[in-house]
Amino acid sequence: MNRVDLTPADILRWVLILAALAVTLFPFYWMVNTSLKPGPEVFQSPPTFFSSNWSFEAYRVVFETRPIGRYLLNSLVVSVGATALSVVLSALAAYGFTRFFVRGAAAFVLFLLFTKMLPETLLIIPYFQIMASLGLVDTYLALILAYSSFALPFSVWMLIGFFRTIPRDIDEAAIIDGASRLQTFFKVILPLARPGLVAVALFTFIIAWNSYVWALVLTTDANMFVVSVGIANLVGEYRVQWNELMAASVIAALPVMILYGFLNRHLVSAITAGAVKA
Amino acid sequence: MTAVSDSLSRPALPGRRRGHAARPGLESERWHGYLFIAPAFIFLCAVIVVPLIKAFWTSLERTRGLNTMFVGFDNYVRVLESEAFWNSLRVSLSFTALCVAMHMAIGLGLAMLLNRVAHARAVLRVAFLTPWMVAPAIGSTIWLWLLEPQFGVVNYLFSAVGLIDSYKAWLGEPSLAFGSIVAVDVWRGVPFVMLLLLAGLQTIPVEQYEAASIDGASPLQQFRYITLPNLKYFIVVASTLDIINTIRMFDIIAVMTGGGPVGATEVLPALLYNTAFRANHFGEAAAIGVLLLILVLAFSVLYVGLTRTHAQEGSR
Repeated sequence: MNRVDLTPADILRWVLILAALAVTLFPFYWMVNTSLKPGPEVFQSPPTFFSSNWSFEAYRVVFETRPIGRYLLNSLVVSVGATALSVVLSALAAYGFTRFFVRGAAAFVLFLLFTKMLPETLLIIPYFQIMASLGLVDTYLALILAYSSFALPFSVWMLIGFFRTIPRDIDEAAIIDGASRLQTFFKVILPLARPGLVAVALFTFIIAWNSYVWALVLTTDANMFVVSVGIANLVGEYRVQWNELMAASVIAALPVMILYGFLNRHLVSAITAGAVKA
Repeated sequence: MTAVSDSLSRPALPGRRRGHAARPGLESERWHGYLFIAPAFIFLCAVIVVPLIKAFWTSLERTRGLNTMFVGFDNYVRVLESEAFWNSLRVSLSFTALCVAMHMAIGLGLAMLLNRVAHARAVLRVAFLTPWMVAPAIGSTIWLWLLEPQFGVVNYLFSAVGLIDSYKAWLGEPSLAFGSIVAVDVWRGVPFVMLLLLAGLQTIPVEQYEAASIDGASPLQQFRYITLPNLKYFIVVASTLDIINTIRMFDIIAVMTGGGPVGATEVLPALLYNTAFRANHFGEAAAIGVLLLILVLAFSVLYVGLTRTHAQEGSR
């Protein structure tokens, strides 16, 4: 075993790190702590930092009296739909970009970069007008299209990186063996790109799941709220207790946390890849 | 074999086709690239380009009752003459400047701390990222509870350590509300910057620091003469990206204040949203959006220019 020698500098460093970590994570602790408290204790002063009465009562109440299940279902349908749409389109496009000479490819990629930077509040106005005139407000389709619109540039961007790592000799070998381009794409390249596709799909799903303003504008019927809108909407209601609201927040945040656990390995490369390289 | 791989690695360039015409299958591939890209291209035109054009068009129109008429740049004139717009621009710029400065300072500090940690760095990195992973709407909901005037834990903790002498309505008073929103955005935005700068720090060879220590350079000198110059590109890119992201940020405002009290937190996206969906002035809102877009594009051009020059320098 290696013996770890701690110099004063190391100790100072760890003190600073742990202090920063405490500030970073405290809100999450407080969310969980509050969600597990019984109603009256939430308004107790001084607040209890570790309740002896922890229970799942707030979770039961929030599920029974609020359409949280419905919100979750809506978020799931819309996020899965947007992920499927944008991953399919972006896998095709990324293959096209990395395997063929395409006139204007550089301009298109630059355009993708710009779309990532558009203020979404600007796009929401025409979007709302178009969806309203098509009678698509309060439909899954409107949200899937909206979410895909900002997820797609990200997916293409990421997948170009992944497809570049697959050698073209493999395409070539498949074609010499008599496969068509489409067969090569579906049967040879896609399976090889699967780790990349999965990572991009999970990221897209998380972006869609976390999104808020689009759903806020494009849904008016409470039955169509996605989870972020549903929960933010509960804040305005005087009847909602903070422990119930925090329980709902835990429920909404949990899927994302779990997915990030799976993505751990890809997390850093994915975030930095899109940002630092151009 | 080389001929085939050459044509595959540089497919279908017009001048290069000669000499490969005998091979079946590849000659027809000139158009395949376009076919693969077409679905994404058409989709993006439908969901981004068309709405963008419509937004420009809307900014030139006004709706009165059932009539919509073309008014030219009248909406822009109205917006630019309104006190609300200039207040909003002021709020947006000071919000962005403050948040980005703090993201960068704290992000750099944290990245440097984590860079020197040998054990548990992967775990720490993910733990620090948590505020950035969770939906801004959910993070903001948590902060609403933390900042609650009567029972919020922030009031309790701050008064327990003597930072404040009475409980504050953090989101109820203009000056406090602005600071609170900045604090929440700093909490949310630092991880992203930290991650980029940590990636940058890891590109600096340890030998440079070792050589500097041997030469007797102080930690401050090492920071000034090794860390900063090596990190320059990462710092510039991270701050430009962060400016772009922060200036169009709306979710936190939407959940926490809606732009109030009395416009203290009404950043441009909030003014845009309120003008469109509360006041129902779509034309003016679209005009605000176009002005915001111009602002963001200015920074985007800067960002693209920076990354491109860097890529060229790197490949040289």
